[in-house]
Amino acid sequence: MNSIPLEYFLLVAALLFVIGAVGFLLRRNLLVLLMSIELMLNATNLTLVAYNRFRPENHAGQIFAFFVIAVAAAEAAVGLAIVLAFFRVRRTIRSDDADLLRN
Amino acid sequence: MTRLMAISPLLVVALGGVLLMLAEAFSHRREEGDVRHTGPSSELALGTAVTLLAGAIMAAAVWMVGPEKLETLPGLAPYYVADRFTLFFTFTICLGGALAALLAGGYLPEHKLDRGEFYPLLTFGTVGAILLAAAGDLLSLFIALETMSLAVYALTGFRRTSPRSTEAAVKYFLLGSFAAVLLLYGGALLYGATGHTDLAGIRAAIMHPAAAKPANLALVLVAAALILCGLAFKVSAVPFHMWTPDAYEGAPTPATGYMAVAVKTAAFAMMLRVLVGGFGDGALASWAAGWPPVLALLAVVTMTGANLVAGRQESVKRMLAYSSIAHAGYVLVAVATIPRASEEAQASVMYYLLAYTVSTIGAFGALVLCGSRGAEAVSYEDLAGLGKRHPAVAIAFTLFLLSLTGVPPTAGFFGKWYVAKTTIGAGLYPLAIVLLLNSALAAYYYLRVLVYMYMRDPAPGAPIAKPMRSGYVVGALVIAGVLVLALGIWPTTPIELAVQAALTAR
Repeated sequence: MNSIPLEYFLLVAALLFVIGAVGFLLRRNLLVLLMSIELMLNATNLTLVAYNRFRPENHAGQIFAFFVIAVAAAEAAVGLAIVLAFFRVRRTIRSDDADLLRN
Repeated sequence: MTRLMAISPLLVVALGGVLLMLAEAFSHRREEGDVRHTGPSSELALGTAVTLLAGAIMAAAVWMVGPEKLETLPGLAPYYVADRFTLFFTFTICLGGALAALLAGGYLPEHKLDRGEFYPLLTFGTVGAILLAAAGDLLSLFIALETMSLAVYALTGFRRTSPRSTEAAVKYFLLGSFAAVLLLYGGALLYGATGHTDLAGIRAAIMHPAAAKPANLALVLVAAALILCGLAFKVSAVPFHMWTPDAYEGAPTPATGYMAVAVKTAAFAMMLRVLVGGFGDGALASWAAGWPPVLALLAVVTMTGANLVAGRQESVKRMLAYSSIAHAGYVLVAVATIPRASEEAQASVMYYLLAYTVSTIGAFGALVLCGSRGAEAVSYEDLAGLGKRHPAVAIAFTLFLLSLTGVPPTAGFFGKWYVAKTTIGAGLYPLAIVLLLNSALAAYYYLRVLVYMYMRDPAPGAPIAKPMRSGYVVGALVIAGVLVLALGIWPTTPIELAVQAALTAR
């Protein structure tokens, strides 16, 4: 049953997480930043589920992943609302243009 | 029913939030074209303050009965740990939230932001904050963190048509979510390394011989590093503080006050739960290779960095934002001392946060009271000559600034003194010295406000701030002022209570 070793799952998850993190740090489009955060959340879910598969004594990891999915949906709703409010006022979704507040 | 007693503070606040939301939805004053349109704020502000104060009183009541004697719901722990630690933080958080609600009751109508959703958001944010202080499992910790944060992101962007407010919300949301994801990924790796998501189980598994395998140890260390980064973001420690001044400056001032007190207090509660409850012993809590030296370094950088930048600000609100970062640094000093002096150090964290809550919400409240629509108090210049024109407002502002500076007999003085005493008692002299030097450094920018208020006259023709009139704001300032003095003059009882509330480190 455990034909694919755990490390493969973890590697894919870590790769997704790094892609998300790099995207978050390098990209300048607010929507892409939101997507990067979602990618990182999904990488976390993959990690949790993969670990759970190799720890069959309980379902803590899977339950955790369900909650993360729900929270991610709520977060996306609030995040998009905030980006929308920003766009309505400023007519841009580039994070570089968010420069009114600074030292 | 008796089984619900242990979680009654949380239930009171949550139920109050639902009722406030219904009251807001069914209030008919939102109709367009109502000439007498005053908005729903006033009653809702009072309702929120009463709800949150009721939460604080319930926490005190459960404390007196003794949470360990109460029967709890089966399966509640570890998701909600009903102990004295939770109750102490619930009290502090509810107090800060109630005072912020009163400030909003004056601020929102004055600045034509009178939309009722502010209050349910604030109440549900407080529910998240209480849950965060009580969470003994990474699952409920993450959910509580997001419940609190999502409400606060919305509060930050509450002034929807203002470019500054929306920009602050965007920055806060992006960096806050990023921090939460770091924390979550760290938690997932920790689950992989230990097989547990509850902090007590994680702690036991780390100490277990099987955990000493190099692969597991490396995984635990990476997880701990990710979690520490996430925590540092949430308590706004330098160098993870970039969002703080922007979010604090752009948000409506009552929301800023709420973020500075309730959210920060809850973040520190989470930090204590994770560090003491999860990583409390073994190599992870040692000064050689664990989190204490990292936190000490963070504390030094945070205090010094924030104080140096705060002195250069021209906006008083932004100065207060940097001041709140600096105060986070002082608390981090106490957190770093925990492995050497567990109960005392934790008690000093808790007392400091209580003192900081009443002083900071008071300072933001005084800033709210100093300005009115079209004549807001923003820069130091706006406050010039305020001591002569409006002595009562100036005296209130002075009291809270002196408490933040740490002048006796205020709460802020005793908080700092107790942190310094604990640090010296634990033998960490360099940290104590940096703390005291930083307090002196901070006095510069606090006293600068006093200099402007009492010794400068406004330049002719310059816009000056006109104080607003609001019973709610005055009420909040009176409560905060009395507490600042009372906590400073009689600090023994709250400190004894805080020692009882400390998490046990076995």
